[in-house]
Amino acid sequence: MADTPEEIKKAQKKYLLIGLILFAFTIVTVAVATVPALDFGKHGFDTWDAIIGLCIASVKATLVALIFMHLNHEKKSIYLFIVLGVLGGLSLIGLTGWAFIDPIEYGTATEGNGFFNPEMVIEEE
Amino acid sequence: MEIPYTVTARKDTGLFNAKVGIWLFLASEVMLFGGLFSGYVFLRIYADYPWPERALPVLPGLINTFVLIGSSVTVVFAWAALKMRQWRRFQFFMAITIACAGIFMVLKGLEYNAKWNHQAVRMDDFTIVEGHTHKAVIDEDGHFHEVHEGDDPHGTPFKANAVIFKAERVSFSLVRAHESWIDSMLSQAEERHSKLVAQKQKGTTGIFLYGALVDFEADADKRKAAEEDIVKEYQTAEKIARKIGEKSLYIPDGTPLSYALLKKAREIFIAGRAHNAEIRTGILRTKWKDAHANHPDKGNWEIADEAKITPEDTAGQIVKVLSTLAFEMDPPVPLVLNRSWIKRPIPAKAEQAELRDDTTLAGALQDSPLALAVDAVDFRWMAQKAVEADKDPMKVIESSWIFSDKNEHAAEYKKLWKMHKKRIEKLEEHLVEKYKRDKLGNPKRVSTETERYRMGWKDLLQYAKAEEEGVFPGEEKFDDLRPSMTDGFTGPDHKNADVKRLHAFPELKVPHEKVAMASAFTPKWNTYYAIYFTLTGLHGLHVIGGALVLGYYLLFSKGLYRQNPEWLANRVEVGGLFWHFVDLVWIFLFPILYLM
Repeated sequence: MADTPEEIKKAQKKYLLIGLILFAFTIVTVAVATVPALDFGKHGFDTWDAIIGLCIASVKATLVALIFMHLNHEKKSIYLFIVLGVLGGLSLIGLTGWAFIDPIEYGTATEGNGFFNPEMVIEEE
Repeated sequence: MEIPYTVTARKDTGLFNAKVGIWLFLASEVMLFGGLFSGYVFLRIYADYPWPERALPVLPGLINTFVLIGSSVTVVFAWAALKMRQWRRFQFFMAITIACAGIFMVLKGLEYNAKWNHQAVRMDDFTIVEGHTHKAVIDEDGHFHEVHEGDDPHGTPFKANAVIFKAERVSFSLVRAHESWIDSMLSQAEERHSKLVAQKQKGTTGIFLYGALVDFEADADKRKAAEEDIVKEYQTAEKIARKIGEKSLYIPDGTPLSYALLKKAREIFIAGRAHNAEIRTGILRTKWKDAHANHPDKGNWEIADEAKITPEDTAGQIVKVLSTLAFEMDPPVPLVLNRSWIKRPIPAKAEQAELRDDTTLAGALQDSPLALAVDAVDFRWMAQKAVEADKDPMKVIESSWIFSDKNEHAAEYKKLWKMHKKRIEKLEEHLVEKYKRDKLGNPKRVSTETERYRMGWKDLLQYAKAEEEGVFPGEEKFDDLRPSMTDGFTGPDHKNADVKRLHAFPELKVPHEKVAMASAFTPKWNTYYAIYFTLTGLHGLHVIGGALVLGYYLLFSKGLYRQNPEWLANRVEVGGLFWHFVDLVWIFLFPILYLM
């Protein structure tokens, strides 16, 4: 991280450049989603659009983290916090996988929708 | 006391303390947003309805992305200025950062406002229409009349998304009755020269409510006789009230309804219940004590029958409590009931309506259409249902209510749908021409479900313009008639000159029994809007929180700057780290919510 006034003065140009790159990437993201000629994969939104959109977002996020948040030049302990935080976040996203390994099992009853119906008449013997 | 390690680094971490603190906090924030993104993924994958992909207007989101990226640059410039000991420069860049936060929130507010004021209706056949609800009034007979711009309505206009019910009798739950709903009913009754009065029961003299046992009401018949005697003897309500005491209430026939009266009755009801509970508990306590004394060797379950309380035990000690009070509408007049008050669906020609506060109205349902200017017709869900039932979606769509003779505006919708189908046909032709067919002869690219089954506001306006100019889909000029990305900044633009001139947004009156769900574009409409508001709302709170902290540095840190500028620089660095994180979250939110 730039610390002396001279270094900081120099670094400002870099910050500005990164800002401009982020602007450019934003325009690319929107263009890919809205301009028909740049439509990847199938016509309209599909998996490829999601992958491209998220890849561009990840690159942008990395630039913000590395340059603006000075992670390119940081102490090891900070990296540890980030890695743990990101792993925690990803594992929470990974929890959706639970729905695949333990899917909802629907009953096999042919009548009723699974909810108690108070108006249902119970015939007494 | 001096706080250590505000400027110098600790030997063990190599960092000043606040930096360790903010990074730990940001790590927890990553997990918070990670959990919410996880929720988004789950809701999207498992949605049992067509997910509204690319449903939000892109421009406000795009501008907000630029604004946040710009503010990330300026906040790092503000920090650099402090490092170089340039106070003025710091102030300049920090002020821009905070202004950016302001712009972001204003745009977010405009976007939210557009959602909250945009009506969506799902019909019972899964047709979805979107638009702006009209205002309406009812006449004395309860007939519905739309109010349009420039009209001079007779009566107070209401949003034409209500249930109109000619009430003869209204009964309120004393415990749950909702004050503002009662006030609304009272003011409507007054406006229509009617009033709600205590039920006039034949052969009685009014209603007595008891909060405790009074000497004359040991038994029901005697009580009734005693009540009649009291009314005869004391005559005026004040005197009767004095006789029966503060814990009871006398409501003479014809007493007008007021929330204060219901509140008093509720107090009496609660006191009566407490009185009864006290009596019952006392009796039970004695009975259990006696039962234990009579059978010292037996367990509770064996003597439970003996200790059971019976009506004979409480005879003459328990007061009868009333949990509801009925009032008559004198004379019966129509009431406009907000749709959100309704507890359960009211069938056509219903004679009863129940509200969520357990108020029950008896009378007759009036014609209560939901009237709106439609800016989108969406058949995607209907098509999905048709496919599930192994039917041809197009046939199902074309036999739906909106195109049927029962819809007085059906002709307009048929005309629009014809143009829409033609447009999709031309689009399919274009896709085959451009991307060819695969080996099996199937087109490599086809239109999306959204294109096929949804007519959005830009489509409707384009079709109206095309009709005016006699242009048809497939002709070059047809595409030029489409509104651009900058039209309708936050959504359908009902004030657009072309929309007004061409009546591009057709009218629709959805009969009350066809409305399966009506909502603004709020979290209740579907899970997409629920997660949209949760994610963007939480992000917005972060923007506000960050701006407050940065604003504090800007306005109240001159003293610290003079005393210890490096400390202030460190503070701004930490605040800046949070600000960059806010930007970083938006970098993901924008494509996910607006472009996917």
